[in-house]
Amino acid sequence: MSEDKKQVPPSWDATQVHEVVKGDTLSKIAEKYYGDPGLYPQIFEANRDILDDPNLIRIGQKLRIP
Amino acid sequence: MSNKLMIAILALVCAFGLAACSKAPAETAIKAADAALEGVRADASVYVPDQLQTVEDSLAAAKQSFEAGDYKQALAGAKDLPGKADELAAAVTAKKEELTKSWEEMQGGLPNMVEAIQSRVDILSKSRRLPAGLDKATFENAKASLDTAKQTWSEATAAFSGGNLMEAVNKATAVKEKAAEIMAALGMQVPQAAL
Repeated sequence: MSEDKKQVPPSWDATQVHEVVKGDTLSKIAEKYYGDPGLYPQIFEANRDILDDPNLIRIGQKLRIP
Repeated sequence: MSNKLMIAILALVCAFGLAACSKAPAETAIKAADAALEGVRADASVYVPDQLQTVEDSLAAAKQSFEAGDYKQALAGAKDLPGKADELAAAVTAKKEELTKSWEEMQGGLPNMVEAIQSRVDILSKSRRLPAGLDKATFENAKASLDTAKQTWSEATAAFSGGNLMEAVNKATAVKEKAAEIMAALGMQVPQAAL
């Protein structure tokens, strides 16, 4: 289905987003969405444009959850 | 020849003459209606079948009246049908435009949804355990549904490429519903357009 990659209208945007709250870590977020904290690198890699360090996330940051 | 016989003959001649006079316009009107419908029948049967049926029924009734010798009724029934055929053609155009718009929207959004689901399924498949609220049976069902959705999407794009807009949109709509179901089952956010 990759041949259809185009600008997606906002109402069709399927990007999964998690807004960081107090106490969140990438491991905790990975556990919430994947059941496995060890899968946090998946989230880190999907957010390399806004994250330099997997241990440094800020409250209010909107992370893509692949 | 008596006067009475003359009058009877004259009455018969007039009756036949009147019948002949009204038969020709009725026949012409039915032929015109037939020809007008022929031009729109194929598309109308696909895109506006109910509207087509109404017009077909009117044409059949006009033909029936003609066969029964009721030319006045036949003419009355057939004379408006070319106009109805034009209305059918306009309805077909409107329906095609509506379907094209739907298709373009779904073509822009559905691959995105399916990719998001595939990504989540791939990651969950690597997980040592599933997240809270998602059991193994639901996950397996979601994976199977994703395969079905991808297959249906392939069929939809093939239908569109083949010029079958109605089938393409019907299948794409089925994919949209299935994808929304899967996303909800996996605890994902469903795009507004698919709700």
